[in-house]
Amino acid sequence: MDLDNKLRGRKNVLMCIVSILIMGILLFPLYWILVTSLKTEQEIFQIPPTLFPTVFNTKSYVAQLGNGDFNMFHSFGNSFLISVSCMLISVILSVPASYGLGRYRFFGKKVTTLSFLVTQMLPVSVLLTPMFIMFNKMHLINSPLSAILSDATIGIPFSILILKNYFASIPKELEEASYIDGCTRFSSFRKIMVPIAFPGVVVCAIFSFLYAWGDLAYGMTFIQDQEKRPITAGIFNFMGQYGTKWSYLTAFAVVTIIPVALIFIFMQKYIISGLTSGAVKG
Amino acid sequence: MQRIKKFFRYDNIGILFVLPALLYMLIFVGYPIVSNFILSFQDVTVKTINAAVKPFIGISNYTKLLQDSVLQHSVWNTLLFTVLSLLLQFSLGFLLALFFTKKFSFSKPIRGLLMMPWMIPVTITALMFKFMFSSNVGIINQVLQSLQIIAQPVDWLTSPGTAMFALIFTNIWIGIPFNMILLSSGLTLIPKELYESAAIDGANKVQTFFKITIPLLKPTIQSVLILGFVYTFKVFDLVYVMTNGGPVNSTHLLSTYSYKLSFSLFKYSQGATAANILFVILFCVSLVYMKLVYSDEEA
Repeated sequence: MDLDNKLRGRKNVLMCIVSILIMGILLFPLYWILVTSLKTEQEIFQIPPTLFPTVFNTKSYVAQLGNGDFNMFHSFGNSFLISVSCMLISVILSVPASYGLGRYRFFGKKVTTLSFLVTQMLPVSVLLTPMFIMFNKMHLINSPLSAILSDATIGIPFSILILKNYFASIPKELEEASYIDGCTRFSSFRKIMVPIAFPGVVVCAIFSFLYAWGDLAYGMTFIQDQEKRPITAGIFNFMGQYGTKWSYLTAFAVVTIIPVALIFIFMQKYIISGLTSGAVKG
Repeated sequence: MQRIKKFFRYDNIGILFVLPALLYMLIFVGYPIVSNFILSFQDVTVKTINAAVKPFIGISNYTKLLQDSVLQHSVWNTLLFTVLSLLLQFSLGFLLALFFTKKFSFSKPIRGLLMMPWMIPVTITALMFKFMFSSNVGIINQVLQSLQIIAQPVDWLTSPGTAMFALIFTNIWIGIPFNMILLSSGLTLIPKELYESAAIDGANKVQTFFKITIPLLKPTIQSVLILGFVYTFKVFDLVYVMTNGGPVNSTHLLSTYSYKLSFSLFKYSQGATAANILFVILFCVSLVYMKLVYSDEEA
């Protein structure tokens, strides 16, 4: 295997063509919903199907701006509020925690690290029923706070396990130099450590946002009021009511993917590093 | 006061940094786990949810559920779903990882783009595949018909014989990028000198694959498989949106059945019990994973 040799000439072209074919097959579903969302309802049912819309139909999107059956943009806002708040909670809590775990040896450190690791593997089903009862007692059912608080439990352990490695890899000398210059532990953490670990913080913020954005179980269980539901739960509801209105459904899907796609395009480097370091190194 | 100051003077100050996150997780994860456990020994339904004293019924939730044919079937489904998904997404992901370690002009950008399926919300993936598998407008039926593989449109998601396989197919699509990217990064860690010296010694590609790539990739393969197992075993959204356990309870996983018990039938205790069975199985697998990570950190 020639791992480090760049392929040239014919072989290079061949591999590029094969890789485009692979991409075409694997990403076809994404193309297909985008195209479907731009077709008219009749064209969707046409046999054989058209690979490209004959008439561009943006009605499925425009209809949602008004007071349609399900106001997509309203749910989009709900989801945004939930995801951003969840991201903030998880960054604020996990940055200091991972600094503590990455740089100090104290009693109970190993147990704490392992218990964060276990929570990452918990099925939502275990938490749903007791959380529902808990939020019911706290009168948080139907409040976005219930979704925010529960979604953050996915982001926090993930962030801690990634950031811990970032903090652990910063050379000790940097911190010692800051003490000599008169920093306390806390100011050195704030002024030296966090800025150095910043790329890691970005990874955590992205993933916490994405976890909350993609969540269905918490959002639909704790928030039953259609007006207040996040977009995933809203779409699920709509599917139940108008299961075959595919032009609308695919338009919802495309709108839900947009923020993910944007994050993906601009932050791909961070995402891949987050995924690999979070999963392999634990 | 002096003593407290002394205690936090050196490494123990780390506790102060960890404490807020730890408390948060204890309240919103630790407490629910414990109360889920207690709940599974009580009889809590929609009538008794707000009662001060909840009836304690011992292990009868467990004995009742273990005799329930839907639960038995959902355990079987969960296993089938996990094993088939894992096998196929791992092998396809591995093939892709090997393919993309070759350095051609598009290797990096296209490998990056292939991450998309893993990133998008599962609800959307489920919607997408529900559309593609639908019997009258679904592209899958249309393609298979035009290739004359099938004569009549198949009701993929509404007949018990095929629904499970449609779900597994979708889950494989989600899992491929995860496997690919982790195995890719494992492959880059293998020193290329090893391949060079193997080539000098006259080893062919098959030999180098089994004697160098596989043994050196073993830690990565282990964690990919275990993590994949855990993530697949607890899948909920995908099945909930695509079939909701139907038709006639034939595609319930432990997670969706637990949800149905709690939130459609309002038998909270039975739902908690089903979730606990899922949790115990996952916990055992996580222990194996932790042992691996733990030994890594010691080294």
